[in-house]
Amino acid sequence: MIDAINASLFTPIGEDGLIGIYLILNGLKVTLIVTFFAMIMGSILGVTTTLMKMSPKWYLRWPANLYVSVIRGTPVVVQLVILYFIVLAAFDVDKITAAIIAFGLNSGAYISEIIRAGIQAVDKGQMEAARSLGLSHGATMKEVILPQAIKNILPSLGNEFIVLLKETAVIGFIGGVDLMRAGEIIRSRTFEDSVPLFTCALIYLLLTYSFTLLLSKFETRLKQSD
Amino acid sequence: MIKINNLHKSFGDNQVLKGIDEQINHGEVVSVIGPSGSGKSTFLRCINLLEQPTQGDILIDGQSITAPDACIDKLRQKVGMVFQNFNLFPHKTVKQNITLAPVQLKLMTPKEADVEAEALLEQVGLKDKADAYPSSLSGGQKQRVAIARALAMKPELMLFDEPTSALDPEMVGDVLDVMKSLAHKGMTMVIVTHEMGFARDVSDRVIFMDGGVIVENSEPDALFSAPKEARTQAFLSKVLR
Repeated sequence: MIDAINASLFTPIGEDGLIGIYLILNGLKVTLIVTFFAMIMGSILGVTTTLMKMSPKWYLRWPANLYVSVIRGTPVVVQLVILYFIVLAAFDVDKITAAIIAFGLNSGAYISEIIRAGIQAVDKGQMEAARSLGLSHGATMKEVILPQAIKNILPSLGNEFIVLLKETAVIGFIGGVDLMRAGEIIRSRTFEDSVPLFTCALIYLLLTYSFTLLLSKFETRLKQSD
Repeated sequence: MIKINNLHKSFGDNQVLKGIDEQINHGEVVSVIGPSGSGKSTFLRCINLLEQPTQGDILIDGQSITAPDACIDKLRQKVGMVFQNFNLFPHKTVKQNITLAPVQLKLMTPKEADVEAEALLEQVGLKDKADAYPSSLSGGQKQRVAIARALAMKPELMLFDEPTSALDPEMVGDVLDVMKSLAHKGMTMVIVTHEMGFARDVSDRVIFMDGGVIVENSEPDALFSAPKEARTQAFLSKVLR
């Protein structure tokens, strides 16, 4: 056991002197960078898409609906590969940037659905009451609907970020070296399966678990105002 | 004050209002009674355009509210509405519920609105609840806050959509008392209600609706003691036992 850990993580695993643990840590860095920026891009896209979907103008609604249907209807790994090898092939875009764009696009569609569901879950009597007082649609959204919707949205949004973090494990398909790919490289060089794979799994678990803890703390705080 | 001409409203194929003509004068208290599905709530909701009429016209102070250039938000400031399910804003305190609209619409400064809110809460007997959240109130208290919230806009007309139907029986009296005192102060009111005793006591006029039309429309004593129409008689014989 100790030997296996040493061999795959702490001694050079090839003629180039590569050491497993460094590969893993660099992969982790890529995973975190892609997740973080995809999260930001996805949030911005998600809000924009929700606004477009709720617009009375068909030429805003229509592209937003198409975007969500296409993204939700195809696997993220297919989107990533198409984006990198076809859409972005003509541009000089590195793999990490391509991954951020692909996962950002993917996440934006899901986030827009989360926001829409959160808004629609607010009782329609709230809109009627605010409008009957003479508030405009915009003021009603800002003062009455969104503050209530946010409580429905945040838990699902946290969940979406956990899903996003795990889904970045397919970055290897375009040759990017993320956490999962780092494990795979070690595995192919050392013929040692358990250590690199369980190391990856453990790191993913630690990341998602600590994020879940953080979220539930935050949610408890939100609930206090009820 | 309000004139309603040939009002029709359909939801898809379902025709709910089939031609309503009615006039409500300044200071008048009008109760609308009738079986469920008769269109009385829809009628009320058309008056502040929570439902868009499919045909016909509604004039408030001579101004058509269904005209395409009518300013709906301005109109609604003059028309207060109280709902069956209160619809208080759960994320705001009682006082914030009351001050939200006047402050947002810049009719009052936050300070003026605070003073007004306290006066209104005193009027509905809930002065000590100013900083409570709606979830901590009983149904009757919620409805009285909802009335105060509507009054904060200083409306010329108040619409009540079955204001006591969702209340426990022992809470009904408090809400009706508030409405009664409002009526005595000369507020123009249209009340959709199942409280026959209240309708009889407080109203200047009672409208009986059935099947999307006004069947009978007269003074409360006449309508309750000597209804002319067979449908009114049948309805009253069921509800007044």
